[in-house]
Amino acid sequence: MATAPLLSKSSGEAPPPGLARRSWHWLKNIFRLRIDKSTGRLVFVGFVFAALFAVIGGRLAMIALVRDASFGHAASREIAAARPDILDRNGEVMASDVKVVSVFADPRKVVDKEEAVELITAVLPDLNARELRQKLGQRRGFVWIKREITPKQQAEVHRLGIPGVGFLPENKRVYPNGVAGAHVLGFANIDNAGIAGIEKYIDGQGLKDLNGAGFAVSSEDLKPLQLSLDLRVQHALRDELVKAQAKFRAKASAGAIMDVNTGEVIGLVSLPDFDPNNPVDALEKDRINRINVGVFEMGSTFKALTTAMALDSGRFNIHSTLDARGALRYGKFKIGDYHAKNRVMTVPEVFIYSSNIGTAKMALGVGVEAHKAFLRKAGQLDRLVTELPENALPIVPGRWGELNTITIAFGHGIAVAPLQALMAVGALVNGGMMIKPTFLKRSEEEAKAHAVRIIKPETSEAMRYVLRLNATKGSASSAAIAGFFVGGKTGTAEKVVNGRYSKTKNLTTFTAVYPMDKPRYVFLTILDEPAGLPETHGFSTSGWNAAPTTGNIIERVAPLLSVPPRFEPPANAFPLMVKLGAWGTR
Amino acid sequence: MIRFLNLVAVGCLIASAGYAYSIKYETLYHAEQVAKLKTRIQKERDSIAVLKAEWQHLNRPDRLQVAVARHLDLQPMTIHQLAQLSDLPTKAPKVDEIARLLQGTTTPKEKRAGDPRTTGSTTPKR
Repeated sequence: MATAPLLSKSSGEAPPPGLARRSWHWLKNIFRLRIDKSTGRLVFVGFVFAALFAVIGGRLAMIALVRDASFGHAASREIAAARPDILDRNGEVMASDVKVVSVFADPRKVVDKEEAVELITAVLPDLNARELRQKLGQRRGFVWIKREITPKQQAEVHRLGIPGVGFLPENKRVYPNGVAGAHVLGFANIDNAGIAGIEKYIDGQGLKDLNGAGFAVSSEDLKPLQLSLDLRVQHALRDELVKAQAKFRAKASAGAIMDVNTGEVIGLVSLPDFDPNNPVDALEKDRINRINVGVFEMGSTFKALTTAMALDSGRFNIHSTLDARGALRYGKFKIGDYHAKNRVMTVPEVFIYSSNIGTAKMALGVGVEAHKAFLRKAGQLDRLVTELPENALPIVPGRWGELNTITIAFGHGIAVAPLQALMAVGALVNGGMMIKPTFLKRSEEEAKAHAVRIIKPETSEAMRYVLRLNATKGSASSAAIAGFFVGGKTGTAEKVVNGRYSKTKNLTTFTAVYPMDKPRYVFLTILDEPAGLPETHGFSTSGWNAAPTTGNIIERVAPLLSVPPRFEPPANAFPLMVKLGAWGTR
Repeated sequence: MIRFLNLVAVGCLIASAGYAYSIKYETLYHAEQVAKLKTRIQKERDSIAVLKAEWQHLNRPDRLQVAVARHLDLQPMTIHQLAQLSDLPTKAPKVDEIARLLQGTTTPKEKRAGDPRTTGSTTPKR
């Protein structure tokens, strides 16, 4: 019994002699259909399966451990990813993906490299033969030969029939409107990664991580991004600025239009600009976005902020008088008026005659600390961060004394991004709520949710009143387009040349708001070093160039925007001012 | 009897196998069709994207402006060209046209050149 095979132990039969017979008997025993044989059969089947699974598992471990740089893996990291479309506020396409074909090679599979290089450079003559030879000599599984080829080139390369050379469809970013909105859109590189502007913002929203994790995102899955820009307005704004820049022989210019109730930027132009389809010169220094990357001394436009601060502080009211006789002396400095009146003026007069002395006295009356606190509240001392990745820190005096307050009152000695100034002016006229500008479409409710009150509604009405007064009686009359009830403020800042304020080189700005009874849009125009012309009598201050330019812009853009023109100015637009009997109401 | 049942069972088996085969091949065929359609849809989508971009490229405002300046004799609309509803003349009193024709004697008055214009004459205030 001891020699009996293990599996036949339970059988009652005697083991037959001979090895062949024994094993035959053992097999027969296994396949015998009897209940008492089942244990043996189960063990056998169990062994077979265990062996099978061991083989499969081992192979899996092998595949996982030995990293094979196979083609599919290498390619998915290199292909330009899909990006969502970018639309303007009316749904017009501003940026989109189109499919293009790129040609790649797997150098390990290219048999005759010399021949391949010769053939490919014959078909794609702009390729560098030496570079290509070096690329094909690499020990990688995937190299690009040429990105974005035409269908004709693809057919020619295909006809060469070189082993190891293939094609892959890729996404190419196109900006069908060319230069329109270039500074807001930014651009994407050949790998479809956002480099600047909203394109970079999109990448920051998690698109890149998704692609990096290997999720092949197709463009249908991505929700289009709707901007606050209006393409038509954007074009009209640019066109007028191009004309103005040529007319006044300015070095550069910029313009922006913002909705004061929602903070949406409807148009933003900075000239010179670039074509995002071919952004070779986009990173040159003079192509910066002057509206939110450049910082400028805004000049008299800043007087609106000072006036609002003075009226809101309670120390001044609309009837307060300021002595603007002679010049304001502070130490060895002397501050004069450009349009000197040499008399005692009320607050509205100080504003429309743009008196430096009067405005400086207002700021001094409020005090240095309160001035600083107000400007901080109005967002003029901190970096303004919007969706655009590009922004700038305002240049603020380190030690802020009375002299600084005097000059900052009329917009010298502090340099802010124009978008920042625009935000503050919007807050002065919209009832006193400061709303952060945005480049994405949003509703008034969303904007109001994060708005901060900086001045009282009554002060806001006074500001609307003096701005309107400036358009009817003051320097902003050339921008007062009929039917839209425009108000505005000019600003001329002398440029700093070699550490001194230049008397000949100006930066002129103009801020316009309409309609003044219930403001909706604020316009800003900047001209850098405009020249005096015979028709401007040689003057190069804002009222002669930036103001009429803004007038042209409003005339052209206003019919596109949602405020209908009115034939009669609204009756009783400033009830409080009339009740108080402010200067100019009678 | 049992033989008959066996035959039936074998018949059923063959029939069901045949049916399963046909279903399987049909499924394969449809799966292929789905894959083909998917590729076609993707191609269509791609070409729609290209056409959309091209349409926008051809309709870009600066190109339109150049075309308008070259081919059309239009000027930007100004507010002076707008009129108010109240500026429109009041509707003429109703005349019985047929009776007038039947009479055959009265002729409508010609409008003279010197008549004042009634629309578009409002000059809005600044």
